[in-house]
Amino acid sequence: MAKEYKIDEMDAKIQEIKKAVEEIEKLGGDIEAVKKNLVRLRASTKMLELNISDVKLVM
Amino acid sequence: MAKNGSIYWNPIMETMPREKLRELQVKKFKRVFEWAYKNSPFYKKLYKDAGMEPGDIKTLEDIKKVPKTDKGMLREVQNRPPFPYGDMLAVPLQDVTEFRQTSGTTGTPVYQADTWQDWEWWAESWAYILYAQGYRDTDRMFLPFGYNIFVAFWACHYAAEKLGCEVVPGGVLDTEARIMKMQELKCTAFGATPTYVLGMADTARKIGIDPRSIGIQRITCAGEPGASIPTTKQRIEEAWGAKVYDHIGATEIGAWSYMCTAQKGLHINEAFFLVEIEDTETGEIIEEPMKNGKMIITAFDRQAKPCIRFDSKDVIRWADYECECGRTFRIIDGGVVGRADDITKVKGVLLAPTAIEEVVRSFNELSDEYEVIVTKKGDIDDIMLKIEIKPGFEKQEADILNRLKDQLRVKTNLGYKIEIHPYESLPRYALKAKRFKDLRPH
Repeated sequence: MAKEYKIDEMDAKIQEIKKAVEEIEKLGGDIEAVKKNLVRLRASTKMLELNISDVKLVM
Repeated sequence: MAKNGSIYWNPIMETMPREKLRELQVKKFKRVFEWAYKNSPFYKKLYKDAGMEPGDIKTLEDIKKVPKTDKGMLREVQNRPPFPYGDMLAVPLQDVTEFRQTSGTTGTPVYQADTWQDWEWWAESWAYILYAQGYRDTDRMFLPFGYNIFVAFWACHYAAEKLGCEVVPGGVLDTEARIMKMQELKCTAFGATPTYVLGMADTARKIGIDPRSIGIQRITCAGEPGASIPTTKQRIEEAWGAKVYDHIGATEIGAWSYMCTAQKGLHINEAFFLVEIEDTETGEIIEEPMKNGKMIITAFDRQAKPCIRFDSKDVIRWADYECECGRTFRIIDGGVVGRADDITKVKGVLLAPTAIEEVVRSFNELSDEYEVIVTKKGDIDDIMLKIEIKPGFEKQEADILNRLKDQLRVKTNLGYKIEIHPYESLPRYALKAKRFKDLRPH
């Protein structure tokens, strides 16, 4: 299961997205257009975590 | 078949070996327990009163000790702040982006809060369902529902978009207009309650459209058990010339179960949910197949209003067969076969209303509608079945009645008074049908 897919590599990229979201949030300051679009980006990233990163819980 | 040949939305989760899946479920249970404990005053008190904290969850046996929740509790918390959800809420009110409520079929509606992440999760859960039922980016899906305060097919809409389907919202159109729009756009799929799917087929014929000519290939049903009742499912498939798939979900739980293209029982999405079946008499968790019990369910990833060991009152049973699709997600046989609070004693006999539906829908001479009314005369229960005979079969009335009484006696162990009503005079339903009416004083 885990051998067929590059779980670690995919998870690492997902964590990079999360980090990038935090950095954009800091840079965006009080720009609502940034803050609210990042809410959506975080939610989509969470779905990637549920589908991919969670597999690491049992690897 | 998908371009890449995969039949799975997420092959890693859906084909995970059972022992790994169980391990994942325990870890995800612990995570949602901890989230609720830290963020929801209701859950914190519930668990503190029971002497439990997140560190106590290490095995499936530990999970069985966690206090259950039920709909009564969900209603009760709504009397406390923050309005209107109460202190089960585990996020700041300003993070809530979606309001839905239950239909109120069993009492006061429950208000459901979701964050945007929860809403993505709803769509993700539905994506597992639609992909397993053969939906692809080449589908044009019509959604003939009211787009209102009930969750109904809202998340299906978002999931179909996620898959890349073209989604046609059939919101405020009436049934005739919906059918004509489906025909005009050559829609390939739609989703609705089994009752409404059958009603749409009737309406189509009345306006001179053979439902089979529209080109619908698949129909996803929800909201009622009909698509898992073989005789009802067969009626729908024959009427539309399409494959019919069941799905089960609930506002306060999520979309937890689905039929795949093999149409053999319903898979539970065990990557997102933990389903336990409890013996209603002993309270023990049932592992053996084909034994009915009520469902206790946990949604692992719900943020705003966590759903942990929720006693749904749905009666289900593990299947004693496997599905050829290759998913390792466990299967329940026959969908929701009843409700713990629906199964009632009539004349001293336990009766599940779905058993009556199975018999009525097996008679081609009868229309799709029926009604059951239970009353009490003195100390004696009285059960009346109202039916409609389809045009052209009126002369066979006596024979139909005899066979119907026999079949009902065999399947439910009860004798019925049967009343024949003019064709199309019984109530029609667009959402959840209320065909079983227990009018006895309680």
